[in-house]
Amino acid sequence: MKVRLQKIYEWIDQRVQLQDLINFMGKKYVPVHRHSVWYYFGGVTLFLFIIQVFTGILLLFYYKGSADLAFESIQFIMSKVSFGWLIRSIHTWSANLFILSAFIHMFSVYFEKSYRKPREITWITGMLMLLLGLGFGFSGYLLPWNELAFFATKVGSDIIGDIPFIGEELKIFMRGGEDVTGATLSRMFGFHVALFPALFSILLIIHLLLIQRQGMSQPIDFENNSGNEISKMPFFPNFFLRDILFWLLVLNLLAVLAVFFPSELGRKADPFAPAPAGIKPEWYFLFMFQTLKYFPANIWIVEGEMLGIILFVAAGFLWLMVPFWDTKSSRGQKNRLTNYIGLFAVIFIIVLTILGWIS
Amino acid sequence: MKGMLNILSAMLFVCSFIYAQTNDDQCFICHESTGDEIAELYKHDVHSQRNISCNACHGGNSRTDDMEIAMSGKEGFIGVPKGDDISNRCVNCHSNKEQMKKYNSTLPVNQQSLIQNSVHWQKSISGSSHILQCTTCHNAHGIVSVKNPSSPAYSLNLPALCAKCHNNAVYMRSYNPSLPVDQFQKYRTSVHGLKNERGDTKTADCSDCHGSHEIRKASDVKSKVYPSNIPKTCSNCHSNSEYMSGYKIPTDQYKKFSSGVHGIALLEKNDLNAPACNSCHGNHAATPPGVESISKVCGTCHALNAELFSGSPHKKAFDEKNYPECETCHGNHHILTATNELLGVGKNEICGKCHKENLNAEGFKSARLMRKLIDSLDVQILYAKKLIDEAEQKGMEISEAKFKLRDANQAKQETRTIIHSFDIEKFKEVVEQKGLTVASSVIDESKKAINDYYFRRYGLGVSVLIISGLAFTIFLYIRKIEKKKNF
Amino acid sequence: MEAVDSLQQKNGRREFLKYLLTGGITGFCAALLYPLISYLKPPEQNEVAVSSVSAGKISDIEKESGKIIRFGNKPVILIRTADDKLLAFDAVCTHLDCTVQYKKEMGVIWCACHNGKYDLTGRNISGPPPKPLQPYRVILKGEEIYISKLT
Repeated sequence: MKVRLQKIYEWIDQRVQLQDLINFMGKKYVPVHRHSVWYYFGGVTLFLFIIQVFTGILLLFYYKGSADLAFESIQFIMSKVSFGWLIRSIHTWSANLFILSAFIHMFSVYFEKSYRKPREITWITGMLMLLLGLGFGFSGYLLPWNELAFFATKVGSDIIGDIPFIGEELKIFMRGGEDVTGATLSRMFGFHVALFPALFSILLIIHLLLIQRQGMSQPIDFENNSGNEISKMPFFPNFFLRDILFWLLVLNLLAVLAVFFPSELGRKADPFAPAPAGIKPEWYFLFMFQTLKYFPANIWIVEGEMLGIILFVAAGFLWLMVPFWDTKSSRGQKNRLTNYIGLFAVIFIIVLTILGWIS
Repeated sequence: MKGMLNILSAMLFVCSFIYAQTNDDQCFICHESTGDEIAELYKHDVHSQRNISCNACHGGNSRTDDMEIAMSGKEGFIGVPKGDDISNRCVNCHSNKEQMKKYNSTLPVNQQSLIQNSVHWQKSISGSSHILQCTTCHNAHGIVSVKNPSSPAYSLNLPALCAKCHNNAVYMRSYNPSLPVDQFQKYRTSVHGLKNERGDTKTADCSDCHGSHEIRKASDVKSKVYPSNIPKTCSNCHSNSEYMSGYKIPTDQYKKFSSGVHGIALLEKNDLNAPACNSCHGNHAATPPGVESISKVCGTCHALNAELFSGSPHKKAFDEKNYPECETCHGNHHILTATNELLGVGKNEICGKCHKENLNAEGFKSARLMRKLIDSLDVQILYAKKLIDEAEQKGMEISEAKFKLRDANQAKQETRTIIHSFDIEKFKEVVEQKGLTVASSVIDESKKAINDYYFRRYGLGVSVLIISGLAFTIFLYIRKIEKKKNF
Repeated sequence: MEAVDSLQQKNGRREFLKYLLTGGITGFCAALLYPLISYLKPPEQNEVAVSSVSAGKISDIEKESGKIIRFGNKPVILIRTADDKLLAFDAVCTHLDCTVQYKKEMGVIWCACHNGKYDLTGRNISGPPPKPLQPYRVILKGEEIYISKLT
């Protein structure tokens, strides 16, 4: 057995020089310090994305993306296909955990200032992937074509319609027409399984290549005390095995969540039925949704909601551009301002999400 | 002589001038003097009272006593109008608002457009004119108001007027062979017809239900006697308490009917199979059904119930006590969907009205038992439904059980029928054999499905164990390699 | 690979760990593959909407008789007429959802609940049913009868 494996390895090695890759990985080190735990979240996010790809492909075997059959096909997956309930529940739970761990990853990078030169591109691709992740969530939410999803999509796309100048066009583009209909479903289906995965893959490849190329970022303190010996751990196998260990724990968590809290289906969407009470978006949109609620109808001459959206877009853009305006960090100096802004953002998101949840 | 002649001609000229100036109706003067009966009729005509002379319809000049001139083509004389010309003469004035105003008339001016929508305005078999002209119903000479008892269209004369054609099988055959010709005879047996015969003009005659000028086929949705329009048509009089005050019958039938099952089916769901007023009361022979025939009338649609009832002990008992069969329990106009509350001996429940613990006690016991049975079937069906929903929500496959539940629901429907036999054994059989057994097997199957759902957790346990084991092994492995190589 | 190689030392505890690792990975693969393979195995009813069902052999249904066939979650009545025609209708009475049956002596489709009657074109001809029964398509493939929705 061992000999045979060795032979196969050699056969491949002669052709693609696997040994180089292993040598490269062997030389790659991960800094060990009290914030090392945050390094795992990038890997977990990647793992959850891989699960999404796999379960998503499996769901595609039975799902039908049309208004007539979408709901019924999910019902079919849930009841007729063996383990269909498991695949769907894992897909749903993994989607939620993906967003969560992506947020954690993003904030840890922000607070460690890991976006500073030379990792600006890594930061931007990461932020774009997070936005795409939200897009995945939004488009995937409609696919079961149930009442809740239908109205949440309606409300969500209405909010997009409030963006100045391009909002109305964007809304119609997203909906594939004036209203949320079967056309919207087809469109969201297309986004969810074709367009977004394609874009995401490109960004992901760039993101991962850059990490391999540039290595893990270290906190600024470490760089400043260059005299001290920094403890390091080889990426392979030590850190890699830890990654695997962490992934397995996440997989366990997913399985438990999927069995004890399986995805529900609710009632089929009826475009002519009145909206049920308590329409809420997915939890990761909740803080924005809730903030918009606090805006008065009109501020001066501007529509309150429109102003809110402008502020969110502006804030998001500033956040994306942080490597460029936080020049202090790039020079290796401490920048308390960014810390305060980050802290404010975290508290703001947590508080408003809770407020939105309990309201 | 010549002078005399001149004087005479001058006198004549003056005379004729005088005649021309006066409103004397030369047609009438002349025709009356010859003892013409038309002139006699014309004397009483509404038109003569308004100085509308013969020439209005016949043309010519009514102001000259010279017959040659009066009835010459030059003066536009046309003689007796033929075919549609007859009605056209009437329409000339009657459809002209300005013209009618001159005579201070309050009559409507839309009769022409109404009659054009009417079934009577088809071409006659000769093809040259329409079936019916104004004069057919209103007379040609001696036209009087329809409120005048001498009018053929007067309420008391109307049935006979319509019957002239509609009672004539040979005549009707050429237009509508399948239409019955006995409406007049039927009408005379109805409450309306009897009162009409005795001189009551308030009761319905043909025109009250069918309309006067605008008479449409009963199958025409705009007809006043189209099935779903009938209740409204009857209610025109029967819901008017002032109008009905002399008759000592209630006026809430329409209100009751329209909120009952039949009214809702007919008026809201537009189910034309549902009964309108005439389905139970008859149309031309309208009269309330007799007490003993109620079950036969209801039985035309509710056949099984009626048959079971006729064979039940209640039939004899009801007849003896003069209870109106179906109506005793279900009411008449305001019939509601039967619920379990119709059965039983409780305070507001119907059986208890006659069957008491100490009076007709056997029926009391049966009714109580039947109610218990039907209630338990309801509870079981509801429980089964709940379990099926629960299992479905949990993603379990139970379409088989769901399909079976239909049978239990059907048994429940059948109890609604079999109850009319008032036979506890038959009732029990349907509830227990057909209903409860099916319901309990559905309950068993859904419970099994729900249990299966919990079985999934064993599967989860196993895989969590495997994954955790692997994770632990990796943990051990990491510890081991890091012990060896201290970096 | 290197790490695995470097492991090869004669130590019982290490051997044990190796077995544990191999066993763990095998078990893990099994725990993943079992649901995966059963998921991909075509389910009994292999599509969402039922478009046609088999109604048995023609020899199973007598002339002038009817038979209730399960079509998805709904019953369908299959009738073989006296002149050997095959007809199929929705078997749910349009009045109150009872299941209808074929009555040979009356020559009609009959509902036992309220004596509703439909003729052999599905039209409601007597009793309380407000609407006709929806017809289905019957296909005869050799001996086998199939019923499908009219599209």
